[in-house]
Amino acid sequence: MSFRRFNHALHRDIGYLCIGLTLIYALSGIAVNHLHGWNPNYTLEKSIATIPPSSYRGVVSEAMVLDMLRLIGERPTYENIFQPDPESLMVFVDGRVIQFHLPTGVVEYERAQRRPVWHALNYIHLNHAKKAWTWIADVYAVGLILLSLTGLALLPKGKFRVRCLVLTIVGILIPIIPLLLYY
Amino acid sequence: MKNWFGVMLVMLLVGLFSSSLHAQSFGAPLSLKETTSISAILENPDSFVGKTLQVRGLVVNVCASRGCWMSIAAEKPFEQLRFKVEDGEMVFPMTARGKTATVEGVLQKFVLSKEDVIAYQTHHAQQTGESFDPATVTSGETYFQLRGLGAVIEDL
Repeated sequence: MSFRRFNHALHRDIGYLCIGLTLIYALSGIAVNHLHGWNPNYTLEKSIATIPPSSYRGVVSEAMVLDMLRLIGERPTYENIFQPDPESLMVFVDGRVIQFHLPTGVVEYERAQRRPVWHALNYIHLNHAKKAWTWIADVYAVGLILLSLTGLALLPKGKFRVRCLVLTIVGILIPIIPLLLYY
Repeated sequence: MKNWFGVMLVMLLVGLFSSSLHAQSFGAPLSLKETTSISAILENPDSFVGKTLQVRGLVVNVCASRGCWMSIAAEKPFEQLRFKVEDGEMVFPMTARGKTATVEGVLQKFVLSKEDVIAYQTHHAQQTGESFDPATVTSGETYFQLRGLGAVIEDL
């Protein structure tokens, strides 16, 4: 087999192998690039209710917590509580955070839920799995290196064209120019 | 041959996707053997500045946009300490709220002017979705946080 045919076959086959991860990394990359505008991993469901205001300020007893939960129609059980200040109470229950503001009686419910698909894509991209996934990601990176190098040798009809050189130089300049400007 | 391939594939998948049901670790493994009380740190924070500390407590808030910080409740009422990492270094899930975390980091001290406090609180309000009125800030303040090295969150 000639070098040209071997290189073409290698480039094509590595391309097939890399397609899944390339799409995942690209989609997740776009998602995490825009963190200032949205949370790509979680949606926050919020709702508000009110209970009668209370003049109490200070450490809330367990009996008071249970009474407040009953007031909003919740079961009188919780996993944890926290008071950020003497006027407020946070109750953690069933994956939700219920915040009571005693002076106003405002109750805020909040539940963080994983975004379907996006959470999984980001889990892979940001290597939260660790373990063997680190090695697979390394192998994928080697695959991308091979893909770019074999791509360089994919000359149209086996002949070098000026277009090949120009596009390659542009491809190298794309990361270098921002580095010169911002780094 | 096919059997061996199947066994290896199963082992690979188990290795890839198995994880503890009870604890998830982030960043560097915890290295200290002793835990310091957050309330003890906040009682005399200057004496701990620059030291690597391990603390343990209830996660009461998490950065909603980047997962780049967690607030951990102290033992005494109304006290909490922020555990902050560089964006992307570790990403703490929103579902960590209400769970117990053991974290290690270096205590940092920040002295903020009134303008700094307003800018910081505005940013914080944007991250958490809370409302913030700059008129409530009347002076500068000093605050302390743990610069995060590693964390373990239980029951995630």
